Amino acid sequence: MKQKRVSAAGLVLLLLKKDAIAYSRDRLYSILSLAGLIMFIAVFFLMPDSVDESVAIGIHHHDMQELFSDDVLEEEGAQLLLFPDEQSLRRVINNEAEAWRTSDGRLIIREPSESRPSDAQRESLNVGIAFPESFLADTVSGRKTTVKLYVNHDTPPEIQTAMKSVIREAAFQITGLPLPITEPAAEEVILGVDRMGAQISMRERMRPMLVFFMLMMETFALSSLIAYEITHKTLTALTSTPVKLRHVLTAKTIFGTLLAMTQAVVLMAVIGAFSLGTILPLLLILLVGSLMFASIGMVVGSLGKDFLENLFLCMACLIPLMIPSFGALIPGSTAPWVRFVPSYGIMKALMDLTAYGYVWTDAVSSIIPSAIWAAGLLVLALGFLKKKAAAL
Amino acid sequence: MSEPSIFVDSITYSYGKQQAVRGISFDVAPGEILGFLGPNGAGKSTTIKMLIGQLIPDAGTIRILGTPIKGHNSEIHRRMGVCFEEKNLYLQMSGKENLEFFARLYGLKHPETDKILQQVDLWNRAKDRVSSYSKGMRQRLMIARALLHDPEVLFLDEPTDGLDPVSSKAIRDIITQRAQEGTAVLLTTHDMYEADKLSDRVAFINEGKIYALDTPENLKQSHGKRTASVRIQRGEEILETIIPLDDEAAALKLRDSMSEGRVLTIHTEEATLEDIFISMTGRTLQ
Repeated sequence: MKQKRVSAAGLVLLLLKKDAIAYSRDRLYSILSLAGLIMFIAVFFLMPDSVDESVAIGIHHHDMQELFSDDVLEEEGAQLLLFPDEQSLRRVINNEAEAWRTSDGRLIIREPSESRPSDAQRESLNVGIAFPESFLADTVSGRKTTVKLYVNHDTPPEIQTAMKSVIREAAFQITGLPLPITEPAAEEVILGVDRMGAQISMRERMRPMLVFFMLMMETFALSSLIAYEITHKTLTALTSTPVKLRHVLTAKTIFGTLLAMTQAVVLMAVIGAFSLGTILPLLLILLVGSLMFASIGMVVGSLGKDFLENLFLCMACLIPLMIPSFGALIPGSTAPWVRFVPSYGIMKALMDLTAYGYVWTDAVSSIIPSAIWAAGLLVLALGFLKKKAAAL
Repeated sequence: MSEPSIFVDSITYSYGKQQAVRGISFDVAPGEILGFLGPNGAGKSTTIKMLIGQLIPDAGTIRILGTPIKGHNSEIHRRMGVCFEEKNLYLQMSGKENLEFFARLYGLKHPETDKILQQVDLWNRAKDRVSSYSKGMRQRLMIARALLHDPEVLFLDEPTDGLDPVSSKAIRDIITQRAQEGTAVLLTTHDMYEADKLSDRVAFINEGKIYALDTPENLKQSHGKRTASVRIQRGEEILETIIPLDDEAAALKLRDSMSEGRVLTIHTEEATLEDIFISMTGRTLQ
């Protein structure tokens, strides 16, 4: 029968086509990929897209109530809600009652079971200060007085400390006495981009994290495809034809990288992560990330013997790599050693480019170490697969 | 004399400290079927892996179609067909898709997949996914894949394993036909009946060594003991006498035995390949 020599590229293309068929016909991975994509898009659009930069503080003070016509006072960075009595303030902070603000500045306290007031917006309140009726007289006369600070159990301790300072300063302001120190002048120096008035919303914070998770998801699919070739010994069948092991390894690397990258690009396009200035560095970091996760998929695939073992190994490899993504949600929460996690640079570059508006030059310092990690993991993965193939 | 299709000289292979193949030598001429007969773990599969370039021998020489083999050689792989013991097929693809995929890897312009699927009696299930095939159907597809590109050398590892008698016969017929067309066939099996039926020559392999290599007939002649079993009825008693036919007085003993009563049956018995294997190696073929 007449045979025509197939080039190395032709063999790799045939192997890629075969992998695409196997992947598309595996219902589990197809459904997981599609469901993951839809779920990540849904999560993104469900997240709030704005940040309330002012802190709402509930106040009850008998004399203030008479001084102001509105119940809501806007101060710089703070919103003071004036409560008619201490009991309602306490109930709102404890989520037993709700505080609603009307467009004309009135505060409505209602029970959760009551109907929603029209033309009003609910206020989220975690902190309240209740000044005693004798606060003014006691403070001026130098008598010790007690102010109640109500805080919701979710309120961070630093807010509680800050509120205590507010109370102390209020005492001095009410009595008209100066603070017992020479008040230092404070010069505010913002390092990095000043985000006053342009805080990063939860939706924006989630964007790089979701893309990162999308890249990771395909690791499992690729590892299963590779595990199949090894456990079913189809790899041996391939290498008994003109196909060499290097053709198979090249095809697997390309397929795994393309699989992860395609899904991540689709997700990024739908959630609007690309901009004209960042599209190229973003595509580059996605390529590096896809290569990294494809390599991990190959390592897992060469070690796993069945579905459960693959799942376990994937989890064992991917959970440590997820750690840098938590830093995106809670800035400043990551320990210094996290920067040595291979996925750190990818997460940082994604965050910098999609959330902080950084450009090429800023992202290079994250892309280069990620690319080195990805190359190292690829070499490791190819070594594992070669060893496994020789042992078949 | 023409170059043998498969030439093996003193090859050895070790897995770590364990020596799996210990200096074996043989050759297979074009159109010849050589049966590799041995129990599991005898070194049959390791030998085949070296012959198809998946293992590199520690020592010795292998030449396939005149070309030395040390590792993968694309040119030679285009001219050889392999049927593995494991059913290493793509289960999510149909039988036809499996064959077409491998045909493209071989660079076949017009693969005769339909014809070969008919030959192995899978034509009516050609478009079904292999995952729905029975063990026997998968085995037949494996044979079809090995024969797809008309190879000059065929390596068949337990080709009729798990097949019903009808399918086994069909596969044996295909192998015989390919050999008659000039294909050299190396067949590994632990089924002595299959080796006896198919092979022009048989090699007994055990613990990595070849114990004997000859035609089945010569092996039986030189190592087996031919006997005749005579059953007679004397009164109400039935007697059975075993007479070695290689004995010089065999004819006399046979006549005496037959005269002792009414002859019920006379059977001649010759040693099977399995008997000879056991007597030579001290092991069974299973």
